[in-house]
Amino acid sequence: MKRLTGIAALTLGLMMTGGAFAQSAETAPVRGAGATIDPEQNQVEMQSNAAGAAVATGAGEVAPGQTTGTTPHEGDVAKMDLVPDHMENGRWYNAEGVPVPKIEEDGTVDWATFSGFRRYNSECHQCHGPDGEGSSYAPALKNSVLVMDYWDYQQVVASGRTVVNAAANQVMPAFGTNKNAWCYVDDIYVYLVAHGSGMIPRGRPAKRADKPEEYTAFETTCMES
Amino acid sequence: MKYVASGAMAALLLSGAVAYANDSVTAEMAKPEQWAIQTGDYANTRYSTLDQINKDNVGDLRVAWTFSTGVLRGHEGSPLVIGDIMYVHTPFPNNVFALDLNDNGKIIWRYEPQQDPEVIAVMCCDTVNRGLSYADGMIILPQADTTVVALDAQTGEVKWSTKIGDPAVGETLTMATMPVKDKLMVGISGGEYGVRGRVTALNLADGSEAWKAWSTGPDDEMLVDPEKTTHLGKPIGADSSLNSWEGDQWKIGGGTLWGWFSYDPDLNLFYYGTGNPSTWNPSQRPGDNRWSMTIMARDVDTGVAKWFYQKTPHDEWDYDGVNENILVDKEFNGEMRKLLVNFDRNGFAYTMDRETGELLVAEKFDPAVNWATHVDMDPNSETYGRPQVVPEYSTAQNGEDENTTGICPAALGTKDMQPASYSPKTGLFYVPTNHVCMDYEPFRVAYTAGQPYVGATLSMYPAPNSHGGMGNFIAWDAVAGEIKWSLPEQFSVWSGALATAGDVVFYGTLEGFLKAIDSETGEELYKFKTPSGIIGNVMTYVHDGKQYIGVLSGIGGWAGIGLAAGLTNPNEGLGAVGGYAALSDYTELGGQLTVFELPGAPAAN
Repeated sequence: MKRLTGIAALTLGLMMTGGAFAQSAETAPVRGAGATIDPEQNQVEMQSNAAGAAVATGAGEVAPGQTTGTTPHEGDVAKMDLVPDHMENGRWYNAEGVPVPKIEEDGTVDWATFSGFRRYNSECHQCHGPDGEGSSYAPALKNSVLVMDYWDYQQVVASGRTVVNAAANQVMPAFGTNKNAWCYVDDIYVYLVAHGSGMIPRGRPAKRADKPEEYTAFETTCMES
Repeated sequence: MKYVASGAMAALLLSGAVAYANDSVTAEMAKPEQWAIQTGDYANTRYSTLDQINKDNVGDLRVAWTFSTGVLRGHEGSPLVIGDIMYVHTPFPNNVFALDLNDNGKIIWRYEPQQDPEVIAVMCCDTVNRGLSYADGMIILPQADTTVVALDAQTGEVKWSTKIGDPAVGETLTMATMPVKDKLMVGISGGEYGVRGRVTALNLADGSEAWKAWSTGPDDEMLVDPEKTTHLGKPIGADSSLNSWEGDQWKIGGGTLWGWFSYDPDLNLFYYGTGNPSTWNPSQRPGDNRWSMTIMARDVDTGVAKWFYQKTPHDEWDYDGVNENILVDKEFNGEMRKLLVNFDRNGFAYTMDRETGELLVAEKFDPAVNWATHVDMDPNSETYGRPQVVPEYSTAQNGEDENTTGICPAALGTKDMQPASYSPKTGLFYVPTNHVCMDYEPFRVAYTAGQPYVGATLSMYPAPNSHGGMGNFIAWDAVAGEIKWSLPEQFSVWSGALATAGDVVFYGTLEGFLKAIDSETGEELYKFKTPSGIIGNVMTYVHDGKQYIGVLSGIGGWAGIGLAAGLTNPNEGLGAVGGYAALSDYTELGGQLTVFELPGAPAAN
């Protein structure tokens, strides 16, 4: 987590518990200097929760069988720096070089976030459910990315994870040699972070930025290497 | 080895001039007090002549006893009952329990296979297993890692063990095997990993391979006769599969088997359906992609195909054609016909002549189905037998990287493998269905052996402008091609139905209810909430003169993945959240058998 101890501190409980959100929003969340959380993004989250009454509690967002420890809790504050600092290979990164989503005021997502949505659905959705929301047996990755740091995330995607014991039979494959996943590992990450932190709602992002040329160049190199 | 030798002798005798179905299976199936085959009978009717529990008393049903399987994943299939023993299976690690019905379900023996858990990583849609088979005093277990094991039904001792596939390239085994005559039919799963589908016939005596018929590829590997194997009455011709693919795509082109087999002893044919072509991106595989998405009728002894019918040529929506083929004899246009009825994922219910493969009826069994207007029924038409695809919902015509919206049904299909039931008393089919639509966006993917090979993004939601639920339980007239009645359900109905001579139909729901309804009217007569969502199939048996109903609970499978957190609500547009009836608000993981009975001693007949 050290490397992610950034300047922005999002209170996760705030983001994850819809019922508490409206209330807390008035008592401005603690944010470090430089953290510019777009009010528009929060607005989307509020509308979302208002629309889906069933998500009034955090429990409503936790799929059955979800492994404990991947659920963000109130007070379990992730110190994530979500401020886009610079672009590299057509993707946005924060000052410490961790990929971050970039969402415009009108909800337009950067290409990498959009790409992540698609690649998530291709590579991850079969076990982890639609929109990173979790399935009957696999954890909700939109939450996982908030409680594990980017480097741990990369390692699990690359090497897989096995939890086989009396209570669980969970095996996540290693994706390190799968170009469909590995060439887009950062895209999937920023998509999950964007959705998990409430910047974008469920479903296909309605508006997206064009694919940057540098991105295409990187993609081609990665897929053909 | 002694047993194997005598078994081989028996098989040798059987495989002579006498061409009966496997005598032991046929004999055990004929006893209504048993449940000797997953599908109820070879015809897949899932109908029981038992009538102690009937529409007048089913309201008094109560739980007789329960059994925890010790595994918390999706529980598909059902137990078997042979004599005084009930056989219960589990999802991975695929344990088997033999329970003594004379001693309160005491465990007589158990079998716990040692499998490399790495196979779980290539099971796309939960670690499900659709159940055990019985033949010649053996219980046959299909393991996830593609090992088929024959166990002595009395002792659990391993008789033989054969591995038919390779999980390293994404091959898994989820379907139930079917013993027929001296053979055992086995399929392979892995359409989402570019696995090339096939059916393997093992010799029941020792587990050795008798023959293997691929779904795609060269004629000799598909076991077809280009001049005699037909498609809608015409010979399929040479290289029928190779000509329908670009390049070598067929080698990683799917057409896997994970539904159910059926068998007609008189015709000596067995039937099954093949799954989706790989990848889900249609632009990467131009052509009809034969013979994915196909009902196949093959000779039991040789494996040679008599006829094929491709329901969804060049699939663009992941409408796997694996659903069960129910064999019934009914009057059609004033003539008794040997029929085959199939409720396909694509939303059409097909009635065919199972001897010739003639297409008789193809009608939508959910009015929401919109991807095709109809199936061309004109034998003189160039597009005879083909669905007439609506361009608006064609993910191939709209192309790669385009999001095609509002397609009904979703990739779950109007119905998945959860089997329907047929009652000869009412002449109706009882069908568990999904009522879900989707957006589908195909894109290019590379193939890596043993890795997901999907290539499409999809979002699913309840069928718009309907009752808001994600499922229906319907009664279907297969001759007229009409829905008789339809019961709305909040969630997809993912449980196999059971119809009985007691004028009752049973099914389970994803919330966990076992429901009993009137087979004529659909009126709900009883329901009980079991500990977890039901994706298992309802079965019935008699012990000590008393009828019981059994069902496995344990949420999971495709349903547990797609619906656990709820679907998005299309009507709310941008900013909608998936609070839409999340399954997680109703049920949790489980693994339990619940057995029901009527109070008191059985009524005298």
